[in-house]
Amino acid sequence: MNCEVSQLKELELEHFEMREVLRCILHTIVFHRALGLVRPKDVDMELFDITYVQCGEVELEKKIDEKIEQFVCWVEKHPNKKSQICLSFYEVKNKQASWFSNKVERLYWEQWYINLNVSQHPKAHSVKSHHSKVVNPREGALEDRNVRSAALEASLRDVLFQIIKFVNEKKDHVPPIPNIEGPVSFPYEITIPSSSDSAFGMDMLKRMLQTGHPTMLS
Amino acid sequence: MTSSHGNAHSEGAEMEQIITEFFAKSLHIILESRALYVSSRNSFGDQVVSSPSSSSSSSSSVRPRDKWFNLALRECPAALENIDLWRQSNLEPIVIDVVLVQRPVNWDPASFPPKRVLPRSSSMKERYPFSWNSDQEELGIETKSEKIIERWVLQYESGKTRDSNSNSRRSSNISLHTLYKKSTLLLRSLYSTVRLLPAHKIFRELNSSAQIRPFTLVHRISSFIEPFTRREEAEMLKFGFTPVDTASGRLCLSVMYLPSASEVSSEPTTPMSPQVITDYVGSPLADPLRRFPLIPVTGLPSYGSPSSLPFSRRHSWSYDHFRASSPSIACSPSPTYSESHTSVSNANSRHFPPASLPPQPTELSLIQKKNTGFDDRYPHPSHSIDNFGSLPTTTILRTESAPVRIPAAEVTNSPAFSNRQYLLPSPPLGGSRRASKTDTNMSIQTGATAEKLFSLGKDEPQKYSGVKISANSSPHISFSRSSSRSYQDDFDDSDFTCPFNEDDLTDPESRAESFDHGHMADALEAGGFFPIRKSHDAAVGTLVHLLKKAPPLRQDLSTSEHLSQGAHSEIWNNNIKESNQIPDALMPVSMTSSGLIATRKTTADALEEFHSYREMKNLLLTRGSKN
Repeated sequence: MNCEVSQLKELELEHFEMREVLRCILHTIVFHRALGLVRPKDVDMELFDITYVQCGEVELEKKIDEKIEQFVCWVEKHPNKKSQICLSFYEVKNKQASWFSNKVERLYWEQWYINLNVSQHPKAHSVKSHHSKVVNPREGALEDRNVRSAALEASLRDVLFQIIKFVNEKKDHVPPIPNIEGPVSFPYEITIPSSSDSAFGMDMLKRMLQTGHPTMLS
Repeated sequence: MTSSHGNAHSEGAEMEQIITEFFAKSLHIILESRALYVSSRNSFGDQVVSSPSSSSSSSSSVRPRDKWFNLALRECPAALENIDLWRQSNLEPIVIDVVLVQRPVNWDPASFPPKRVLPRSSSMKERYPFSWNSDQEELGIETKSEKIIERWVLQYESGKTRDSNSNSRRSSNISLHTLYKKSTLLLRSLYSTVRLLPAHKIFRELNSSAQIRPFTLVHRISSFIEPFTRREEAEMLKFGFTPVDTASGRLCLSVMYLPSASEVSSEPTTPMSPQVITDYVGSPLADPLRRFPLIPVTGLPSYGSPSSLPFSRRHSWSYDHFRASSPSIACSPSPTYSESHTSVSNANSRHFPPASLPPQPTELSLIQKKNTGFDDRYPHPSHSIDNFGSLPTTTILRTESAPVRIPAAEVTNSPAFSNRQYLLPSPPLGGSRRASKTDTNMSIQTGATAEKLFSLGKDEPQKYSGVKISANSSPHISFSRSSSRSYQDDFDDSDFTCPFNEDDLTDPESRAESFDHGHMADALEAGGFFPIRKSHDAAVGTLVHLLKKAPPLRQDLSTSEHLSQGAHSEIWNNNIKESNQIPDALMPVSMTSSGLIATRKTTADALEEFHSYREMKNLLLTRGSKN
């Protein structure tokens, strides 16, 4: 089975925006892969004028939030680095023997890479010059923030469309819908960079070995 | 048509069923987030769900319909009706046009019931006339401008020709399972796409509260495509969902949308809607004095582009409004507010002896404030007058009875006034407020006189001032500051209620009658009675109500006025007459009466009123959301 990979457009954001942005993206992806009975839940973002959809499952929400927290911690320890979160979907296959001697093998059939560029310090002054109307500095900063935030909103929207397009174009690799209860039909995992980058790389390598050759897409 | 299998027939039937359900589901998904009388809002997290119907999806029961494609959707009558129609056709395409309709500024919401008119008689096959959802017919269409902001085309391309080529291999490869899975996937992406498109923002705005907007969304469903003009088409973007192959064709879904749609909506919206919202969310009373300075700074910029300010979304921006329009809000519950705009002279305030009011420390404080406030007022009177100038002043002024006053307040709040207009008048108001605090009790009684005075002539400043004071006496001010000190908070209400109390005292039945007459009266009374503090909701409700019915209200006002006046005690009438003849004389009379009222009013009464008011509000909200 093919493992389709989607590299999502990199988002430049500030620290405080990470959580909501990640939540938005992760939930959006999972919603598209939640082929069980779903009662979709609209979520209006607080920071952006965007509505995204959740599956409305508590467990899922919890897991996503957990991972996001871990990721935020990692970012705090590794400031000014580009970072990546990977959301993978897999199937579980029992195998007698495998390279890594686990009896249960994960067959990854889809991976989403969310690319973030978290800036530690808001670039408050970068845009200011364009706005002659600024009356007082506080307002100016606010305006800058708005401009920047609007840009991020647009990018985020792009990413969401990217997800939708991907989902539309690639349907063949999605495993048959298992007959299960609950909206989340396929096992998934969220991988964040671990304490050292190399480990993260190893992880990826391992996964590649397991899944065969992933087709790099987008 | 399909496969080489022996069970081809049944499979074909199943496939057809999947296709049919796919159409139904798609239509449902689209209309659910575009058809206004159904709220697609889920109550989630901290988001505010104003529409009562919002939580329907959370119900745990699984309907058979929900199982299709494992997607449980909220009820959407529009979708169900249309799909029923469509089922009679033979897999005809479905074209859904989502149309943005701009209303004339002075449209009358009262004549805008959420009624759906579906041409049931006409069948889909006949290229049924559009099934318009609701609004279309009811609005005065002449003045509306319409723009198609989204066109969804859903069709089944029967692929016999195509099938014949790759025939057996292809068809056999496409199992029902695959078809089902793929259409499920497609519907998932449809579901989130619908929410990403600009039209959803409009929908959300319209649906998020009972505010009145200068625009609305309607949808038309037909089975054929009415071509766009070239220019229209140039403006639109197209998103085509990847078709899902079936054994005998493919399911195609695409959307053309206007990327700038949200801007379209926001432009007209900004000036008008914010005011209403403001009243709704904010609590201007919280800090009336402070608002003022803020107005120029925050109010205007934020208005311009609420959408562009992510942080200021919804509540926040409404908050700004709030600030800007806060004075109006405060006044809104009481009809007198409008009068306050006319800003009466200070002289009257002085005339009101503290003694006349119930001997309460608060009143004294009020008086003091009045004096200060007056100074402010004097410079501003011109502003207020100007504002009124745009309105039918005479009617407003004349409508003095308690119910009448409310309408006046409405008028000021009405969309017709631009924010800026608001802002200008507001400063005087602020001043007036303070002054009004002392007068609150007075206002009810004097209100009538005030109106007449106004109508009589602007020459007599003293009269005006007296009137104003009474007008200003609107519950907000008096309650929050003056009364609170003297009484407990609950008692503060009494000041406001006084006017009502008077009515009650004089003629309880008359009041009841007024209720029967219509919501308007109720709203008005309620607004007048309740102190702002306690009943923001109430105030909001009143506002909404008033706004919706503004034009008719004025007419009603005259009648209501008569009724109320008739109902009023002799004292009232006397006051009026006296006021007309001798403005100064009025003051003492009203004062005394107010004092009496205040004492009689109890918190229980207020609470009762409040509850009735609340009911009304809910009713209004429901209705509003349906619109």
